[in-house]
Amino acid sequence: MRKLNPPLAITLIVLALFVFIPMISAFEFSLRTPGKGGYGWDQYLWAIREEEFFYYIIRSGWLAALTVAITLIVLVPTMTWLHLSKSSIRPFVDGISLLPLVIPVVAFAVGAQISFPEFVQDTVLELPFLYFVLALPYAYRTLDIGLNSIPLKTLTEAARSAGANWWRTIITVIIPVIKSAVVGTVAITFALSLGEYTLTVLLHWDTFPTWVTFVAQENILGAIAISMMSLVIPFLVLTALTLVAPERSTQGRK
Amino acid sequence: MQEPYRSGFFNSIKIGLYSAAIAAIPGAVAAYFIESRGPVKLRRTISVMSGVLANTGGVPLAFMFYAALGIQGQLTKVLKFFGWDIYAGRFSLGTFLGLLIVYLYFQLPLMIIVFSPAIVALRREWSEAARNLGANQLNYWIKIGIPLLFPSFIASFLLLFASGFSAYATANALTIGDIALTPLQIGGLLDGNVSASQINLGKALGVVMIVISAFAVIPYLAIQRRSARWQKR
Amino acid sequence: MSSKSLILRNISKRFGNVNALDNFNLEVGVGELVALLGPSGCGKTTALRVVAGLEHQDAGSVLVGDRDISQIPAHKRNMGMVFQAYSLFPNLTVEENVAFGLQMRKVNKSVRLKKAHELLDLVGLDSQSKRFTHQLSGGQQQRVALARALAFEPEILLLDEPLSALDAQVRVNLREEIRRLQLSLGTTTLFVTHDQEEAMAISDRVGVMNNGVLEQIDTPDALYNKPASSFVASFVGTMNRIPAHITDGMVEIFGSKIVALKRGNESGKVHALIRPESISVAATTAQGNAKVLTRSFMGASSNIICQTEDGTIVQSLMTSASTGDLLPGSSVQLRVLSSEVLVANV
Repeated sequence: MRKLNPPLAITLIVLALFVFIPMISAFEFSLRTPGKGGYGWDQYLWAIREEEFFYYIIRSGWLAALTVAITLIVLVPTMTWLHLSKSSIRPFVDGISLLPLVIPVVAFAVGAQISFPEFVQDTVLELPFLYFVLALPYAYRTLDIGLNSIPLKTLTEAARSAGANWWRTIITVIIPVIKSAVVGTVAITFALSLGEYTLTVLLHWDTFPTWVTFVAQENILGAIAISMMSLVIPFLVLTALTLVAPERSTQGRK
Repeated sequence: MQEPYRSGFFNSIKIGLYSAAIAAIPGAVAAYFIESRGPVKLRRTISVMSGVLANTGGVPLAFMFYAALGIQGQLTKVLKFFGWDIYAGRFSLGTFLGLLIVYLYFQLPLMIIVFSPAIVALRREWSEAARNLGANQLNYWIKIGIPLLFPSFIASFLLLFASGFSAYATANALTIGDIALTPLQIGGLLDGNVSASQINLGKALGVVMIVISAFAVIPYLAIQRRSARWQKR
Repeated sequence: MSSKSLILRNISKRFGNVNALDNFNLEVGVGELVALLGPSGCGKTTALRVVAGLEHQDAGSVLVGDRDISQIPAHKRNMGMVFQAYSLFPNLTVEENVAFGLQMRKVNKSVRLKKAHELLDLVGLDSQSKRFTHQLSGGQQQRVALARALAFEPEILLLDEPLSALDAQVRVNLREEIRRLQLSLGTTTLFVTHDQEEAMAISDRVGVMNNGVLEQIDTPDALYNKPASSFVASFVGTMNRIPAHITDGMVEIFGSKIVALKRGNESGKVHALIRPESISVAATTAQGNAKVLTRSFMGASSNIICQTEDGTIVQSLMTSASTGDLLPGSSVQLRVLSSEVLVANV
């Protein structure tokens, strides 16, 4: 392991302080037990015992999972094609992928309310598609970097000439090679969907984040505990996943 | 356009600009050190972490900051111990300044995400060639590095503006309606039992928001297209 | 500024637990063009980068003329370097790129632009002076890079595989141009490449490297005809290895007794190292000592690949005219044309 560059180390330390102080403070708060003094896991236990806790976690969970599925199914083939065809619309698509970052979610919600037909608006299934759009900037960028770093053309041609059709090529050849990018995409998309609040509440749906906000009005400490779980656990899990995902470089730089 | 909507836009634009301004340079510097000197695993981890953090908002984020910088917050206590009582004046997390500090929490990671590709595109050959031709670090940055990064920096700044401008959940969680912000106003107009005129007003405000965001996005796309010429590997 | 000599003395450099350079020594005379040739990972690029100051050696010193520059940082070393690709600054025009070295030396604008144009003229690109990098072809970019490296009249010119990323025809033209420029300016030059044809074609001397060690440094002629090691023999040009037995300082190959040139302690069973052009193939109606496997027509000459009775593959290079009737499968008689051969241990 190379020795750590001083400016890099300083940067990381400052960032770490900035990111973790609020988290740790909130965590400490959530461990407080006002009645008994001192610390305990009371709030967490309370949260888990609330029957709605699991209901909403599972609800947000499968909505997030659906979003991930949509993201992968739409983006991986499309981006593979974009990279392979060297199409001139690629910079354009690159730009479009960043639009959701910029269109106010509020306006997006308004737009969705106005334009979606009735039957779509009646089902909670409209959410994964909307979450997909919100996650697009992050997912697109992660996959883009991944696809850029492999000899895509060569791999595809090799697979195709060996007899694989498009789907098999993507599933058995390309995805394993860009595994780390895919993991990153899944991570970010899942995290985003799990925590999405604005769009959900404006479209009058109930998911985990909206439930937490509701709970906050009655039991602030309990809500903090829940928030901690919803934020920190995915954060740690995803970070761990990224660290563990295998390195795969096809060619080192000399 | 009458009050309070005029204030709403004014404040929203202001918070967009200010939060972008505060986050842009630290974010760019952090992105530089991470991308140019960090090992691959670190870069990837930070990328994912930044993605999650850039989407942190609303109630969870509000809680974290109440816990850290609220009246009873841990950090507040530590600062008081060192002699700095941040609540001595009229500060609270629900003020403009308070919002600004909290916005930083997701603006900074966003800057790292959006600006990193520009750093990656800076080829090692350029700094080596510059050194070989007699440039020290300062010369390299002034003549080559910064000119090359500048467009992307501006583009990233624009993106951060749009993000700060349109933030809803966090503002909603921290303020109690005392700060006029357009996203919150739109939310209010669409909430609960609404009348047709309220919905229409909401739509109108929404459209104006999109137009303002467009003023950020279009230059962004134009800048990126120009930089793409040399950024392609 | 006139060129100086370049000396690397006992340079060692490790990366992790890999020894990129191990007590490496090299001397390049004033105005000489020396090539470092070897496979990927042999240390040639590391050696070049140590000279440039882009890598810092673990041990040893670098001298320019009689000045020890080992601790001088890269930007003060006054050497011109051409990288493999992508080294032109994209935000500067061609002429600004070429003038950059002079700009860093605080030469005033009109003087340095004039000099830039002189050099661009030398490489034939004066007409492109106001363009940007992405508007030029690969070959043009490398010529600009060359002009840029020479604009401030460096004492030493360093070339890091400058032709590797170019098309074959462009490569041949550009290497001639590099040599031409180097000779007319008299600049001491160190040139790194993995392409032996390139190295042999334009260098005064070539150093063959393997695993961080300089195996042999000599004129192209000497390297080809008197390789000092097995590695050099195989790396430079094609070499046949024919099993033979040394008796009284001679080996018997294809029926003739030939003097064995030993370089070390070779004895008993050895490989005789013979170049394809030193082996002749003749059609024969009798039994013959080999059978033709393939014949590759390359224009003026042809490569004939044969197999002897004991299974050895032998390659011969002859004029196409004399090999017309050698079809695959036909019996032939192989003969060694030299009176002495190099031998190597098996």
